[in-house]
Amino acid sequence: MILIHCPYCDEDRPEIEFAYGGEAHIARPLDPSAMSDAEWERYLFIRNNPRGRHHERWRHSHGCGRFFNAVRDTVTDKFETTYKAGEPRK
Amino acid sequence: MSDVLTRSEPLPAEAFSGNQVVIRAAPAMARFSLRARTAAEVSAVLGFEAPAKIGATAHGVACLGPDEWMYRGAPDAPPPVAAGQMVAITEISHRNTAIVVEGPRGAEVLSAGCPLDLSKFDIGRATRTVFETVEIIVEREANDRFHVEVWRSFAPWLWTAITQVAAE
Repeated sequence: MILIHCPYCDEDRPEIEFAYGGEAHIARPLDPSAMSDAEWERYLFIRNNPRGRHHERWRHSHGCGRFFNAVRDTVTDKFETTYKAGEPRK
Repeated sequence: MSDVLTRSEPLPAEAFSGNQVVIRAAPAMARFSLRARTAAEVSAVLGFEAPAKIGATAHGVACLGPDEWMYRGAPDAPPPVAAGQMVAITEISHRNTAIVVEGPRGAEVLSAGCPLDLSKFDIGRATRTVFETVEIIVEREANDRFHVEVWRSFAPWLWTAITQVAAE
């Protein structure tokens, strides 16, 4: 079982306690009505899907309940680091 | 139609006992979920010190997350008053029920479905986690006694699972 470090609980916890939350650092547009359909589509649906380092959101749903960000390698499935939501991209 | 409302308990009144472990339903108690930004705000509402560290417990209060506390008191305990305070209080006395697992094999029995390393779980520590797929809150009250909070609707299944493990 993979252990994921929760930055709020500050300890390694089993993967089964967590829920994946998609790609991280996607800012909601400040003025959606000013966007074209193509731009709105890009915001809603288009994701990076990199091979290697991926910034993603996770939630410690069966723990402290908080969302946080993680850097995970999509090839090896290894977590490089995790950090609190709101902190700058690592 | 009956005019009398009765409450049916989700857990059997009789304890399971055997193989160095006793499993019983916890007595009725009042439970409150408190949400606030800081432990100081929770302390101000409760009138005593609430733990600030996630996982810590004190005076019946467990800190479950950076903004979440659970308070357990006597069954007739009045809800804390948060008038004018930035604290959200929800009574969850009947949403949760609890199972007490006691005995030298207590940690081993819970480990059958709980992925945490309970042998290294400190006394007085509480955390939300899972047993198989059921969400539970585990608190180690003593070296060989665990208090397991579970949602009422999951309780019959959890009871069956834990007693099954204990019987083997």
